[in-house]
Amino acid sequence: MSVAAMAGWLLVAAAGAAAVGVFRLKVRPRRVTVSSLVLWGHVLAERRDQTWWDRVRWAVSLVVTVLIAVVLAIAVARPLMRARGQGMGRTLLIVDSSLSMLAKTRDGGTRWEHAMAEVRRQAAAGGEVVLATTGQGIVEGPTTDLSLIDAALDSIHPRSSEAGQWPRLGQADAIHFFTDGALARPLSPSVVVHSVYEEAANIGITAFGARPATSEAGGAEAYLEVGNFTSRAQPARITVTRGTAVLVDRQLDLAPREVFRQVIQLGATGDPRLRAHVKAQGDALAIDDEAFGWIEEARVVDVAVVSERPSVFTALLARDRSLRVRGLKPQDYQPRGADVFIFDRWAPADPPVAPALCVAPPTVNWVGVRGETDEALPRWVPVEPHVLLAGVDPLTVDIRKVRRYQLATARVVSASDRGAPLVAVRDDALSRLVLFAFAPEDANPEVAAAFPILTGNAIEWLARPHLSEPGPPGPRLLPASTTRITAPSGKSLPLVQTGDGVVAQMETPGLYLVEVGGARSVVVVNVNAPDVSNLATTTLPSSAGPLRGLTGTGPWWVRAVWLAFVLVLAEWWTWARRITV
Amino acid sequence: MTLRLDHDFLTKLEYLHVVSKRAFAGQHRADRLAQKRGRGLEFADHRAYSAGDDFRHIDWKAYKRLNRLLLRLFDEEQDLPIYLLIDISRSMAEAAKFDHARRIAAALCYVGLAHLDHVTLVPFAGGLGREINPGRGKGRIFRVLQQLDALDAGGTTDLAESLKQFSSRRRRTGLCVVISDFLDPKGPEDPVKMLSVHGHEVFAIHVTSRHDSHCDVYGEVRLLDIETGRTQDIDVTPAAAAAHHRAFEAHAAALAQFCARYRLGYIRADVSQPFEDIVLNAFRSGQFLA
Repeated sequence: MSVAAMAGWLLVAAAGAAAVGVFRLKVRPRRVTVSSLVLWGHVLAERRDQTWWDRVRWAVSLVVTVLIAVVLAIAVARPLMRARGQGMGRTLLIVDSSLSMLAKTRDGGTRWEHAMAEVRRQAAAGGEVVLATTGQGIVEGPTTDLSLIDAALDSIHPRSSEAGQWPRLGQADAIHFFTDGALARPLSPSVVVHSVYEEAANIGITAFGARPATSEAGGAEAYLEVGNFTSRAQPARITVTRGTAVLVDRQLDLAPREVFRQVIQLGATGDPRLRAHVKAQGDALAIDDEAFGWIEEARVVDVAVVSERPSVFTALLARDRSLRVRGLKPQDYQPRGADVFIFDRWAPADPPVAPALCVAPPTVNWVGVRGETDEALPRWVPVEPHVLLAGVDPLTVDIRKVRRYQLATARVVSASDRGAPLVAVRDDALSRLVLFAFAPEDANPEVAAAFPILTGNAIEWLARPHLSEPGPPGPRLLPASTTRITAPSGKSLPLVQTGDGVVAQMETPGLYLVEVGGARSVVVVNVNAPDVSNLATTTLPSSAGPLRGLTGTGPWWVRAVWLAFVLVLAEWWTWARRITV
Repeated sequence: MTLRLDHDFLTKLEYLHVVSKRAFAGQHRADRLAQKRGRGLEFADHRAYSAGDDFRHIDWKAYKRLNRLLLRLFDEEQDLPIYLLIDISRSMAEAAKFDHARRIAAALCYVGLAHLDHVTLVPFAGGLGREINPGRGKGRIFRVLQQLDALDAGGTTDLAESLKQFSSRRRRTGLCVVISDFLDPKGPEDPVKMLSVHGHEVFAIHVTSRHDSHCDVYGEVRLLDIETGRTQDIDVTPAAAAAHHRAFEAHAAALAQFCARYRLGYIRADVSQPFEDIVLNAFRSGQFLA
């Protein structure tokens, strides 16, 4: 025990002793002059019968007085205990922010609420505190100001179904981890684990997604997986909808630990939005009851070819059923007339609203400067890997000549052996474009496979930005050209610029509409995590302790002061009414 | 303290009449009729003449008609001896009580003087003090006030000894008004009864105050008996204070019950009541004044 702590306990003991001393102290009674003691003699005769009761009251009053003194002394000695904590260093409080923490507990709260109460208790113990979550890292501290910690605790919430990164702090003398143990993490033996785990029954969707059908008939198919993470059989109702059309609506009796799987065939056309929902009685976690899908190919892209000879590209793309291609003369060009523009050896003075594929364009400000001389027979050299080049065999590309472009902000993905850009892309807040530095007439598009693949890739990249696979709730890195993200609730999400991209917090399952350089795409966010849905098990050892109550979330010393105040009130009231001495 | 009775109050008192339930014999003619037949002005009866009777009272008209000597009898108007026994022990030293008692004594004294009664003020504590005989006539009231003003509270209360001394002296029977707080450790009943046994009409005026009946101080206190100097430590709780109040009320009720049983007059005169109300209304309701 440190000297400071010993001084604290000495203060408490001294306060108790002082209370006893003061209580037993015989103060000189006030002198009251009366006309006669005759009548008081009768009173004293009556009171002698109550002596034993007086003793009981005296003892009770003594106990209450000592209790008041001790409680107040403990509350006052708090700074000493805090000083001890400060001397020992910092305490890192890490909260598991995985989605399983949203599971309901039997007392009506959630694991997260229990964790918050436990964090507040631990923070109030004193010392310098650093607050962190597995999803966000360090969110507050180091600080000794409990109000800052309280404010930070109010601002955090479960936001990811993944384990996340373990927060690092250079100097932490004690690390406390508040978790339900749903996701396995390697933990150092020095980490003090506070368990908020309580077994709960749950039924949730553990997998849901859509993909193009592999059969020749086309269309798409969806895959659904529902797990019953309870120890008893449960009825559950499963519905899958596409837009407003109900594809599946069935009642199931799921056996204990059973996982239900189903593949749903989807037509080639129709609403691209898919939604799966499961409803059951024993369901402690709501966030995994819903999942979403998006059939990208179901959306037809409108492509406008602006050229004096548009037939080259219209013929090239006519067979793709996901595209609606039309040719335009430059004089008929409208900036908002298509999902994707192909400017063939022509370009408007101003950039279009939609993404554009520019094929050997003339000099315009928003594209770049076209060189004066041609470079004959360039050799295709890939500069960096890019989705545009997927499936493109450079050996099959035969380019007779190319004009050198000076591009300010574009990234060259393919160049000639002499450095002239062949294929370049630009993806920023101003525009999203692909540049072919050579014209179809200067290559061999009709006989080589590389050019149609390259063109298809370019249109796909421009019109259907491939952002990523469906992911779990949490932060998502998107292209730097992302201008807006609309959440399922209709609100725009804040975007944070980081390096060569933007980060957005997609915290709830749903379909997020992302606008990228004029193109629009959809990001699917689903929980789809059996580890999160399975609330009946934990990776924590039993020694982590049981779930503690939610009550008493304030600092303990404030509660001590309140207790002393209540005791003083009780003592005063009983004294005034002479219930006690 | 200077006792003052305003003019209106004195005027009202003049019209009040001291009534005694019995007629008392007196040496001086006053406003009340005595049972004794004598030299009054109001005709009462006839009786047969006997040797030695005063010729002047023979009714000659009756002799002419009845041929018998008859004497005319008259009710004799006699004064009423009023003894105002005022407690001047230290228990009465509380300013309000002592003032109250002296005002009551002064008022009664004035009524008696106004009706030519023989009023005697008798202060007492552990024994009788010096009696005050103001004489007759309401003009003597100022001398009474001076002498009441000169009284000091002191000594212990001993009603038995005081009233024994009062009774042991030879004096005419009359109305004995005992003005006291009756806080006598030996009890007031026997001494008061002794006055009645000696033929006096007894009227007890119980002077009380809130200080005596209530205890407003709580906690550990040391009570000091102002008369004996004895002390008593006590923890005054609301229950104890209530018990004290009950004891006081029981004490007053016992005294009133005792007076009622022996047909003695009793009036409780609390200092909180306006003095005029007590004299004009409370005394009337107590059948002391009419």
